Amino acid sequence: MQLSYFRRVAAGGAVAALAFAGVGALTASPAYAATSKVSVVHGIPDTPVDVYVNGKKTLDNFKPGDVAGPLNLEEGDYDIALTKPGEPIGSAILTVDNAAVPGGANISIAAHLDAAGKPKITPFVNDVSKVDAGKARLIVRHTAAAPAVDVRAGGTPVFEGLTNPNEAKGDVDAGEVKADVVLAGTDTVAIGPADLNLKEGTATIVYAIGSAEGKTLDVVAQTITGLHSAPGGVPSGDGGQAGTGVDTWWYVLTGAGVLLLLGGGVRMATARTGRK
Amino acid sequence: MTVRNRGALAALAAGVAALTAAALVACANQPAGTVGAEEASTLASPAPTAASAPSVPVTAGELPAGPKIIPPVRLLIPEIGVTATVNAVGINERTNEFEVPPSVDQIGWYRYGPGLEAEAGSVVIAGHVDSAKQGKGAFFRLRELDQGDTLTATGSDGEARRYRVVAREEYAKTRIPLDRYFARDGKPRLTLITCGGPFDAKARKYRDNIVVTAVPV
Repeated sequence: MQLSYFRRVAAGGAVAALAFAGVGALTASPAYAATSKVSVVHGIPDTPVDVYVNGKKTLDNFKPGDVAGPLNLEEGDYDIALTKPGEPIGSAILTVDNAAVPGGANISIAAHLDAAGKPKITPFVNDVSKVDAGKARLIVRHTAAAPAVDVRAGGTPVFEGLTNPNEAKGDVDAGEVKADVVLAGTDTVAIGPADLNLKEGTATIVYAIGSAEGKTLDVVAQTITGLHSAPGGVPSGDGGQAGTGVDTWWYVLTGAGVLLLLGGGVRMATARTGRK
Repeated sequence: MTVRNRGALAALAAGVAALTAAALVACANQPAGTVGAEEASTLASPAPTAASAPSVPVTAGELPAGPKIIPPVRLLIPEIGVTATVNAVGINERTNEFEVPPSVDQIGWYRYGPGLEAEAGSVVIAGHVDSAKQGKGAFFRLRELDQGDTLTATGSDGEARRYRVVAREEYAKTRIPLDRYFARDGKPRLTLITCGGPFDAKARKYRDNIVVTAVPV
């Protein structure tokens, strides 16, 4: 049941990673939402780094497999540089200049290997729209030096043909699922299997990182909470024994009472007048 | 006294009797009414966030572990004679509504929300007021609870936790702020929900929800 649902959403779910320029157009943020939440994910094996934002050291000795943030960043352009720990920004191993952070978005910046094994930085926009009650969002991002892969849940492919640096996502029933990653179209397991606990009302983002050739394939996970919705209602009774308020007969009785009082009063008055 | 006069008097007496009866019925069928609404809504407002930390939080990107939640298994409300088994329930796939246990003497805890261990948010337990087939439900007298009444929820860990009622509210189902009662932030609180208000005999539906909010003692 869960799997079939899974597959259905997966069909429409493969979404390309978005360049920063595209992000702004997509989120179309209102004027007041000037800051964005920005997380940084480290997916380059064996390479701890210092992270500089606009020339200022923001993360010290940031280790592979770690997730930093979220930071609240004002909308604007940022220069990002990664250096080996302790080394000056001038000898950065990776730099991205004028990365445009739009307002009002939730972004993850992944430092990772491209398909050929070269370090790069890819920004992803996180889907933080609410999930329905009882559901959880699963997002899988291919950020490893590896060919196309399928993601399987309980042995059945749910996201197929995912390539670096793209993502696939779907809203699924909350709960536990056994997942693994195989080379696309094969049963050759590249990563896993692992038990994924998809908590209701959260987005679990799983990054495939490392290098197939270097035998360093692994996963990094990031969780975004607070996406839950309330149930549609609480139906809790169909007997009617506890009903409050009054029925139609009450209005009839009240109406009759008023008429009788008026009628009686008028009659009494006319009777007295008549005797005079 | 003339015949005419006697007739008038009789009419007056009948009128008074009818109105008295109507007034009595109206009083007996008063809706539950609302107490402590303001207190309940204050509990729901999230705690002010601390000034932004100077350093960036860094966490190991491990796969999320299974949640350590303590479900309530038993609820005791001496004031209205409730001793009920609590089942962990979720969402009805078809209706997207709270899956209240079909057996009216059992009540349901919303397993996606906080458990009894939670330091924030609303633990929600709902139960039937009644059922056409099974008669009165566990929460038949929920609307009689008042501020200051106490109740005890026992968790799966065997620990009994005491709560004090701070509010009882009645909302039309079309207007009830469910987001607030199913919130996972704000002060820790226990929210009890059932049906109430006028009953639509054709649709077999109550118009309102009765919501009781209690805080840990």
